[in-house]
Amino acid sequence: MSETGTSAPAGETIPDIPTRIRTGLSAGLATSFKIIKVSIPLYVAVTLLKGTPVLDLLGNVFAPVMGIFGLPGEAAFAFVAAFLLNLYAAIAVIVPLHLTPFQVTQCGLMMGIAHNLVVEGGVLSTTGARGGVLTLCRLVVACAAGLLLRGFWSLWETASSWAMSLPGLS
Amino acid sequence: MEVFLAALWGALKLSAKLILIIVPLVTLFEVLRHLPVFRRAGNLVEPMMRGVGLTRDAAIPLFTGIFLGIAYGAGIIIRVAQQKGLPGRELFLMGLFLATCHSVIEDILIFVVIGGNGPAIFFVRLGLAVILTGLMSRIWKPA
Repeated sequence: MSETGTSAPAGETIPDIPTRIRTGLSAGLATSFKIIKVSIPLYVAVTLLKGTPVLDLLGNVFAPVMGIFGLPGEAAFAFVAAFLLNLYAAIAVIVPLHLTPFQVTQCGLMMGIAHNLVVEGGVLSTTGARGGVLTLCRLVVACAAGLLLRGFWSLWETASSWAMSLPGLS
Repeated sequence: MEVFLAALWGALKLSAKLILIIVPLVTLFEVLRHLPVFRRAGNLVEPMMRGVGLTRDAAIPLFTGIFLGIAYGAGIIIRVAQQKGLPGRELFLMGLFLATCHSVIEDILIFVVIGGNGPAIFFVRLGLAVILTGLMSRIWKPA
């Protein structure tokens, strides 16, 4: 056993396997409860919110901005579902919209970054990181990623339509 | 009342799922973490980690989050943060990386199923995560 690592814990005594399993089980339960304490109330709150007109209201507010990302206004409802609930709720809204492959990719990118914000924000805080700041980061990064992908896509479309217009290529 | 009970039931199911995934994961981590293979893998990823301002201590929680997601990754993140005493700066950088790029398998697959372009989603997310975390680690210097 050659130890080349610089930060190898030299002084640490290695416990035997049963001790490690016991430590793992108790530590696993302890961390689970730490997370559950936060996620249960948040999950209930968000689920109750689903029964109120708040989601529709938010969708109407965000609809006009969707064009910036190359998406139809209705996609705003999918984003509200993704932000507050989860990706499966968002998919349920997306499928009936019959979006183009680019639009589905755009939704997947932006929602992949920012989803389930309430519960995951709470979970992030329990790790000791700043949950609120990180949640804000996710929203900002999701928008930046959306603009980036839209930019790539327009470039690609312009380039390919230009290539198509060349004589002898179509 | 019925709505509330349904919500509570959903929350309990989520909790059960969290326990079922986190407890075995943390146990496995405790059993395996003393193996020399782990240390060698740590040496391997160390240069990459340094590029985004993280140390090898953050490697296991980072990769757990990238593949499994924030909720399940948090189990390992909390555990490692306690054990190694990860500083706030490193926790934030890891959080920023994971905010942009986490749960890459499940999240991308469900969009591929409905017609999205998986590689496009993956590479934009990974690229942004590396760039943002790298930038942030240079702005926020270690104390």
